[in-house]
Amino acid sequence: MNVAVCVKQIPDPVEPYALDSNTHSLVREGKLVLDDSDSYGVEMALQLVEANGGGEVVLLSMAPNNEMGGLRTALAMGATSAVLVSDPLLKGSDALGTAKVLAAAVRTLDPLPDIVLAATESTDGYTGTTPVQLAELLGWPSVSFAKHVEISGGTVKVERQTEAGYDDVTSPLPAVITVTAGVVEPRYPSFKGIMAARGKPVAEHTVASLGLSADEVGFLGARQEVVSVQAAEARSGGEIIVDEGDAHASIVAFLEQIKVL
Amino acid sequence: MDFSPTPEQELLKEAVAGIAGHYGHEYFQEKTRQGAKPDELWSELGAGGYLGVHLPSAYGGGGMGVAELTIVCEEVAAAGCPLLLMLVSPAICATLIARFGTASQKQRWLPPMASGEAKMAFAITEPDAGSNSHRIATTAVHEGGRWALYGTKHYISGVDEADAVIVVARTGTEEATRRARLSLFIVGTDAKGFEARKIPVEIAAPEKQFTIFLDDCTLGEDDLLGTEGEGLRQVFAGLNPERLMGAAISCGIGRYALEKASAYATHRTVWDRPIGAHQGIAHPLAVAKIELELARLMLSKAAWSYDAGLDAGEAANMAKYAAAEASLRALDQAIQTHGGNGLASEFGLADLWGTARLLRTAPVSREMILNYVAQHSLGLPKSY
Ligand SMILES: Cc1cc2nc3c(=O)[nH]c(=O)nc-3n(C[C@H](O)[C@H](O)[C@H](O)COP(=O)(O)OP(=O)(O)OC[C@H]3O[C@@H](n4cnc5c(N)ncnc54)[C@H](O)[C@@H]3O)c2cc1C
Repeated sequence: MNVAVCVKQIPDPVEPYALDSNTHSLVREGKLVLDDSDSYGVEMALQLVEANGGGEVVLLSMAPNNEMGGLRTALAMGATSAVLVSDPLLKGSDALGTAKVLAAAVRTLDPLPDIVLAATESTDGYTGTTPVQLAELLGWPSVSFAKHVEISGGTVKVERQTEAGYDDVTSPLPAVITVTAGVVEPRYPSFKGIMAARGKPVAEHTVASLGLSADEVGFLGARQEVVSVQAAEARSGGEIIVDEGDAHASIVAFLEQIKVL
Repeated sequence: MDFSPTPEQELLKEAVAGIAGHYGHEYFQEKTRQGAKPDELWSELGAGGYLGVHLPSAYGGGGMGVAELTIVCEEVAAAGCPLLLMLVSPAICATLIARFGTASQKQRWLPPMASGEAKMAFAITEPDAGSNSHRIATTAVHEGGRWALYGTKHYISGVDEADAVIVVARTGTEEATRRARLSLFIVGTDAKGFEARKIPVEIAAPEKQFTIFLDDCTLGEDDLLGTEGEGLRQVFAGLNPERLMGAAISCGIGRYALEKASAYATHRTVWDRPIGAHQGIAHPLAVAKIELELARLMLSKAAWSYDAGLDAGEAANMAKYAAAEASLRALDQAIQTHGGNGLASEFGLADLWGTARLLRTAPVSREMILNYVAQHSLGLPKSY
């Protein structure tokens, strides 16, 4: 079976982020790294392929400046190949624009993948809607918030995380599935994997080579505009619970209130 | 001139930092306290191929160079887990076997050393020879199709965890100079006539130090490593990687210390502002950072020269010197920045002092490096 994984390459979260003062979009110049939330999708894809008699794991990424820093990490983990879409015309793409590009990238694959995995949302800037839009554009079913994925008899069984626990969802293939962060432990690449990544194929595409038009994507195609930005509220001091023998009750009440319990 | 690491080196850094960071200094401290070894970390590094990045791929290695091994060593130390045995087993011993071993010695040792399953110690230092290798007294006698070793080595690291020790022994004397003709031997730690006794030292590290007694220690013909009588020249081939690994561990400790110091100085407020706003705290940390980065730069240059087949002696010595000094300065200032906490076990700084300090003395002492630079770089008269 073949699995495609959408991987976003983002500015290193360790460095401070900056917003463009005109467009209010995130500055994405310079070195990019694999978004941590996507490392779970890559790991799950590798596990799915290993558990189902082998196959290919193809990465799909839209990134500025033909950046490959994050792709290399995922290729070193064991992915087979990658499709990289990079074009100055893509600057300013909103979620739908990104979904169009990713859908076109999926269609370049021959054969088409059985599953497309994505993170539920990315780390640097997110709406959490790209994967379902991608599914819609492909005309495939989508299942979000997967914490466990299994293939059986031409269908996919997903444990879909909910507030109360999880739902068992079965879907026909092909399908788009979003993976919740933390549900698998992403492997560290081995040194052999790192050296092998160098020789793995990366198919590079532009807006034109994907058959898209310039006004469907980027700032031109965006239907979503960031009108203004505001500084986030500073973190408040938190609440100190003094233990006079009943602290556990207050903590349980608090955890219930924020729905952790 | 291009100072940027290759994409593969960046991935290597990232992966090793991830693996070692997963363990961290508390793990390292706990192992040390229990008198145990950091086996899980060592095995995971081995399984990922990271202990053999510099070994030939035909023998289970990664086929790259010493530059890659210094990255591994530095990243592991920067995560608070300085692995002194990396200096000895992969850096010096595996390098010597890869360079001078017979096909069967390579087959026997390199794959398990690359995967971390086998470890080797290295024994050159003797009570009466010290920094002067020409005075080595441990003797190997060739008789009746076997070798017999007699003598004493001391300060040999990791004998308790090693499968074998590469021993430097005298196999003759040069007529003209009266200097020792040296040879290398692979001695199993279970060989007859081999005995090791622990030397108590004040270093909080999982690796222990030993005196080795060799008394009619019997070896086969094929336990000779390389060419008889060429030992010293051969050892020199392994010394540069060892120096580079020493420098890499120092650089890692320096990074670890400065990272902790900066974090602490940014948050700890004693008067009306964080202590890092006082130049009395900020400037010494800045000086330590400059010296550390200079040492790292020389380390990269030395590793690059070594891998390019150039004479790396001068750069390796300078990197070893600079890194040991820089890490001591960084660690000292990190401890000072932490006030009383600097000496608490919980803050994980003072316990690294022994290791950082050791690297000023071993594997080659600061004075022997200064001798080398005075004589070879400055052309001053030989002093001894
Ligand atoms: C923890 C630890 C681990 C070690 N691990 C190993 C190991 O695994 N294998 C191994 O073989 N050895 C090992 N050593 C030994 C180490 O390499 C030596 O201690 C070091 O090289 C110094 O040699 P020495 O102790 O004989 O000192 P000496 O040679 O006696 O020197 C004493 C002092 O005099 C100085 N000195 C000597 N000659 C000169 C000169 N010509 N000019 C100026 N100054 C001079 C030295 O720099 C030093 O300060 C280890 C040592 C320690 C402490």
